[in-house]
Amino acid sequence: MNYKWLPPHRNCCPTANHRSLITIHSSKDMIEVKNLTYGYADKAVLKHLNCTIEEGSFYALMGANGCGKTTLLRLLSGLAKPQQGSVCLKGRPVDQYSAREMARHMSLVRQQAQTDFEFTAFESVLMGRNPYQRRLQNESKRDWEIVEDCMKRTNTWHLRYAKPGEMSGGELQRVMLARALAQQTPIMLLDEPISNLDIAHQFEIMELLRQINQQEHITLILVIHDLNMAWQYCNQLILLHQGGILYQGSMKQGLTSQNISRVFGVDSRIEGDHLVLSKKPTGKLN
Amino acid sequence: MKQRNTALICACGLLILAAAMLGCARLGAVQMDWYEMWHSSVFWNLRAPRIVLSVLVGASLSVCGAAYQSIFRNPLTDPYVLGISSGASLGAAIAILLGLEAFLLGVGTCALITGLITIVLIYRIAAIGNRMHTTTLLLTGVCLTFLISAVISFLMVLNQDKMDRIIFWTMGSFASASWVEVALVAPIVLLGIGGIIYYSRDLNLLLAGSETAQSLGVEVERVKKILLVITTLMVAFSVSSCGVIGFVGLVVPHCVRLIVGADNRKVVPVSAVVGALFLLLCDTLARTAMQPSELPVGSLTSLIGAPLFIYLLYKNKKSY
Repeated sequence: MNYKWLPPHRNCCPTANHRSLITIHSSKDMIEVKNLTYGYADKAVLKHLNCTIEEGSFYALMGANGCGKTTLLRLLSGLAKPQQGSVCLKGRPVDQYSAREMARHMSLVRQQAQTDFEFTAFESVLMGRNPYQRRLQNESKRDWEIVEDCMKRTNTWHLRYAKPGEMSGGELQRVMLARALAQQTPIMLLDEPISNLDIAHQFEIMELLRQINQQEHITLILVIHDLNMAWQYCNQLILLHQGGILYQGSMKQGLTSQNISRVFGVDSRIEGDHLVLSKKPTGKLN
Repeated sequence: MKQRNTALICACGLLILAAAMLGCARLGAVQMDWYEMWHSSVFWNLRAPRIVLSVLVGASLSVCGAAYQSIFRNPLTDPYVLGISSGASLGAAIAILLGLEAFLLGVGTCALITGLITIVLIYRIAAIGNRMHTTTLLLTGVCLTFLISAVISFLMVLNQDKMDRIIFWTMGSFASASWVEVALVAPIVLLGIGGIIYYSRDLNLLLAGSETAQSLGVEVERVKKILLVITTLMVAFSVSSCGVIGFVGLVVPHCVRLIVGADNRKVVPVSAVVGALFLLLCDTLARTAMQPSELPVGSLTSLIGAPLFIYLLYKNKKSY
């Protein structure tokens, strides 16, 4: 616990005062999106979007295919520039950050990560340390230790000498997650990180994400299609629908039958801790 | 530990290269022992500059090949295949026709300008989003090469008195190497190699894709521009000194990757040494194999490079 945040006149005891300070700290908005509009060619994908990302939360970013989830992640991470409106990270527009600064604030796990060149998994994860290294500087022992730790946590250490062609889609995805972890950023953006994984590894990765969210207070924004996984693991929900935000807030309150029906066109009910989904009789999407 | 290995490989390579340079200097139409060689004008005025130039150009083309393969994220590119060498040769031909040879940097500058125009054209035509599609990229290179050789042929017919000198640029040869060319090429090539080594980690990250590289902290557009200018500068000055020599930039980095892996921090310096050695040996073979006449060195490198290129295309077939 770090007491340097406490005001000097307060006693340094972990009491209610301290807890309230943490609350103030964690309620701070990390990312603020204002009136964001973005589109490709003539088609606007996101229209006048407003939302805030709070520090330390675990967000599920959900919506039907093509509704702009990946686009929103690109805008949040500064890879795309808003056509209208702004995205601010800690009160400063993301396009004012250098790539290096951004890479120390946010890591991104993308959907596809294929290359024709044969880096080993270890070399790939080591690339995550780039934002902390100067040019011509070699990786330090600490960098190597961080990489080893991240690979062990994602259960990829045994793959360290493997090249992309020798790994399955799921293994490759876990290596990419290890690289993002090695970036040691306060915010992680993940674009469908469990879509290529078998069910055991899906749970393993979701448990890991929950663990880093709860223990290290890393803010996670996860694009995910599996409603049940999102329901079980994420505490915040951003639901995109027709270029706007249909709902932003707590997962348990937001993932209602009504919202699910409106966005995905399926019926749902809650049984115990699980969502049960069924196709609508009409079979048509809204 | 790994970096030390790279330094060791480069140091051994440089020793072998130095030995090969001395050894190749003794070979040729005029047979000499070491003492005679040291006092001979054939060595100092003909062979020595030729050997040094071939070493510099070999290093330059190989390093540029490795860099282009990372920038375009495509293992099948090199300055020749992309048409950049041809683009630079057009500038050199125009400079000769305009009589700019009299100026120290005239030919090099013109080659640079047309080389840069070529690379911008390639970039504009072949880029689909952030990704260079292999087929489009290679076809663009082939078409630009055809177009440029047509323009050069046209220029030659119009200026038959200067035909010999222009043909030299399209065939590639070190026969007219002199210390002036060495002095022009050496600083550009050495600084260029230094620059590319400086950005070699960024090259690694670029291989993972532009957006991934940016999310890992690389100023992608800026780094790409800097690297394209450095490489084109190196290719332009190499081409303006010895003409178009194909496939060196393709063969060497591929062989080097088999030994040291894909990490550009190793591939770039080792490619420089191996490329220098490769072109030195090719040029020595070209000038000694069929004495007293000489083979064009470009045809020798193509004899080795084109089959490798076809093999790589065959190997990559499943990715189409």
